[in-house]
Amino acid sequence: MRTPVRTTAAAVAMGLTLTACGFSGGDEGSSGDDAGGGTTIDLLVPQYSDQTKALWQEIIAGFEEQNSGISVNLEVQSWDNINDVVRTKVQAGEAPDILNIDAFSGFAKDDLLYPAEEVVSPETLDDFQQSFIDNATLDGTVYGLPLIASARALFYNKDVLAQAGVSEPPSTWDQLLSTATKISELDADVYGYGMPLGSEEAQAETSIFTFGAGGAWTDGDSITVDTPENLEALKFMKSMIDAGVTQPDPGATDRTPMLDVFIQGKIAMAVGLPPTIGQIEERNPDLNYGIAPVPTKDGEPVTLGVADHLMAFRNDDDKKDAIRAFLDHFYSQDVYLSFVDAEGFLPTTKSGADGTENADRFSEFLEVLPNARFYPSTNEAWAATQGALQTLVGQIQSKDAAAVLKQIQDKADAA
Amino acid sequence: MTAPPAATPPATPESAVTGTRRPRGRPGRWSALGRALPWLTPALLLIAGVVLFPAGYMAWTSVRDLSQFGMDNGPAGLDNYARLLEFGALPRVLLNTVVWVFGVVVTTVLISLGLAQFLDKAFPGRRIVRLAVIIPWAASVVMTTTVFYYGMDPFYGVINTFLVDVGLLDQPYGFTRNALPAFLTAMGIAVFVSLPFTTYTLLAGLQTITLDVREAAQMDGAGPWAAYRQIILPLLRPALAVATIINIINVFNSLPILQVMTGSIPGYSADTTTTLIFKFIRADRQIDTASALSVLNFVIVLGVILVYLKVVKPMRED
Repeated sequence: MRTPVRTTAAAVAMGLTLTACGFSGGDEGSSGDDAGGGTTIDLLVPQYSDQTKALWQEIIAGFEEQNSGISVNLEVQSWDNINDVVRTKVQAGEAPDILNIDAFSGFAKDDLLYPAEEVVSPETLDDFQQSFIDNATLDGTVYGLPLIASARALFYNKDVLAQAGVSEPPSTWDQLLSTATKISELDADVYGYGMPLGSEEAQAETSIFTFGAGGAWTDGDSITVDTPENLEALKFMKSMIDAGVTQPDPGATDRTPMLDVFIQGKIAMAVGLPPTIGQIEERNPDLNYGIAPVPTKDGEPVTLGVADHLMAFRNDDDKKDAIRAFLDHFYSQDVYLSFVDAEGFLPTTKSGADGTENADRFSEFLEVLPNARFYPSTNEAWAATQGALQTLVGQIQSKDAAAVLKQIQDKADAA
Repeated sequence: MTAPPAATPPATPESAVTGTRRPRGRPGRWSALGRALPWLTPALLLIAGVVLFPAGYMAWTSVRDLSQFGMDNGPAGLDNYARLLEFGALPRVLLNTVVWVFGVVVTTVLISLGLAQFLDKAFPGRRIVRLAVIIPWAASVVMTTTVFYYGMDPFYGVINTFLVDVGLLDQPYGFTRNALPAFLTAMGIAVFVSLPFTTYTLLAGLQTITLDVREAAQMDGAGPWAAYRQIILPLLRPALAVATIINIINVFNSLPILQVMTGSIPGYSADTTTTLIFKFIRADRQIDTASALSVLNFVIVLGVILVYLKVVKPMRED
């Protein structure tokens, strides 16, 4: 009995020490000016991959070489911890000067952030793709600097489509339904379309169809779920389920396991993300697949985008010039791409999209990126709406689409 | 739950002891308590800190208006309870909860009675079989459930493949994708992971029944069945009571099995009150409604145990 207790105690002690390290890093840095009279800016970032820390260190070394007198104090936290760390730091009045995280609106509402135009040059600001700038805006002011992006596209199995006599991937809903129907009629033990409406990410699959019908989750102020466009989208999704051209039980299918089935070749078409390419390379490199923009109601391209942001905290106005120098350096094409390409995400800047070495690999995603639309995550009621979509939208498999939409709208209104 | 000691203070031994040691004093019950207090304080503080305070705080939050980030926006009266009672799926969820608790506990206890009887007999290799029974208990519940969950996956699950191969199914079936089969499967897993504890509690009870009692029954001409019903089972009653009550509490509050098995199923057809609390918090961000349901949950489990104690009288000593 003694050993496990000891091990646990050691683990707890270690955890405490590690946490303490995390915080002491911030304390040290927030002292501001160092002995040389220069400026120190604190940079807090999450860990995207094993190389995240090395990438930032390299960028910082390059920056400090060109800007003597400014030093950057880097702190890397895991995604699991970073929200707690930020909250603690902000409450203690020790917010980092620059933060990399997904959502900026909470900080902006509490008036903690510099508007983007104060901390980057006009050239840098103009270089961002408009769809991402729109998504980084709160009440008319840009606060977030889009850092990296992810978007959705249709992955299709070329062999199965050819077998069904379809030469081009579908771009409209009608084509999607007819292609999926032809594949189901092949009797080849392959399902036409993979529709994941399980709780894992039902909001993403639903958004692809509602955006594709011209719908939106917000009218600017409140959350709008029960709209004619969204209803049309859900009715179309239900018609695919009823026609039996999706995998069985789409209402309870989660995205990750569904994509595994696509990778095995047993689903002909499914909506995937940039990392799906890597998963196919790793798990079934022989899969003969293609990527196309997601089909929409009338073929008008639109997709679901997700972006993480950099943001600058209003701690000490003396540091503003140093922050601007660092951010402009970071978003210069070479430096920016050294980060985005190594991490394997999509760039959010125009110059980045032109220069990325992943241009071929991600070409279909880059093509749809200007048409990316986002979750209304600046709306306070969105979190509950997303939860309601996750737990309820799958019911369209057996229930009336209008009733399901109304149920989700009620949840959004109650939030 | 096991209150009787406080109700019947052992008056005679106490006065006997104090009488012999301290002839001049006649310390009453209060001063005895006073002397005991320093020794009891750590335990009482612990109980207050980890049981009473959270329970009280839960009741308090259930009458507050909390934002989705946990900000307290003032008193809410009984609004949270009203919202809970208006919740359309509540009857179905309550019914599910009854089926879940009753079904799992009764099945577990019946199977465990048989298993304990079997493990009580001497046979070669008994030690290994006893160890094997513990294994589901030693493994993490989430892990065990995940193994079953993957096994039943319609696309690559071994259990589904097996059922198709032996001809019981024409094609793989989404056991984990439909509310009723997923719920029933989850009940099966709950029985599976509850068996070790229950069996061992009953086995310990069986081993307190001495051989002479059994022999006496045999001498009086009782057959095996009569001996079991009239002698063994009544003597097992305390062990049975512990096993049942602890199982009721455990099963009632169990989240992980249903969470893994039915978590991706849309709607509320496979929810118990416990998983519904989870959905109120995680999906709907209604911390206050979840608190109201937690209070209701607490009342229900207390009620079930009181009814059990009243009807079955497991603590009766006769």
